[in-house]
Amino acid sequence: MDMLLMGLCISVFGIAVACLAFGAATRPVASRHRVQPELPAVKPEAPARFFADRVTPAIPPQPHVPIEVLLQQIENHIRLEQAAAESFVAFPTQALLHSKTASPFMN
Amino acid sequence: MAHELLNGLSPAEVDLVLALGNRMTVPSGASLFRLGDPADRLFLTERGRIRLTLPMQVRGHEEEILIEEKTPGQTVGWSALIPPYRFTLSASAPIETELIALPREALQRYFETVPAVGYKVTSNLALVVGHRLQLVQAMWLREMQRSVELRSA
Repeated sequence: MDMLLMGLCISVFGIAVACLAFGAATRPVASRHRVQPELPAVKPEAPARFFADRVTPAIPPQPHVPIEVLLQQIENHIRLEQAAAESFVAFPTQALLHSKTASPFMN
Repeated sequence: MAHELLNGLSPAEVDLVLALGNRMTVPSGASLFRLGDPADRLFLTERGRIRLTLPMQVRGHEEEILIEEKTPGQTVGWSALIPPYRFTLSASAPIETELIALPREALQRYFETVPAVGYKVTSNLALVVGHRLQLVQAMWLREMQRSVELRSA
């Protein structure tokens, strides 16, 4: 009787081990990955921008002009603006005050 | 040479005012005065050219940017007659330039002695200052208009 019970226990234990092994072998691959802790999704960082909520200049960025050329452009711009202001002061009208500039510095 | 500052004076009065000053020559490329310097002399341009500039930061460097150019007959350095007697621009000569430097103290003493001349000269000075103000006002408004257009674009 003892031998019978021991044999029964060993058999039940063996069946249980076999079931666990079968279950582990047949588990889908995706569910195995689910066990791994998920890493937080890394968003691509936006390029740093200052005053991003402010005005975006309508002027296209100029190619990197030499400093001498840039200074010449600024000087010409001031001369043109002064000429425009002179015209306005000589004959003040709204049209002259807001006349568009031909300055390459602004266009 | 007719000087804008001496308009309306008789030739004798012009000679008397000019006699208060000293003729001086600024070599090509030399500085006449710098922004913030004490302004104790007013200059009348006789020959050449004077560049009036202000410092501006351009690509991280301080650059002197042309604001105005003065030609013969025009007045430079009226800060010498207006408190706090400090130059508000820098001045240099791009070419050899001849000027008459009028010391403030000598001018003020003369104006006290001959108020009629003082009145005419200060009236002319008001025209020079007023004209500059009108120009700067118009230039400022044009720049403001562009800023408004950019902001509402």
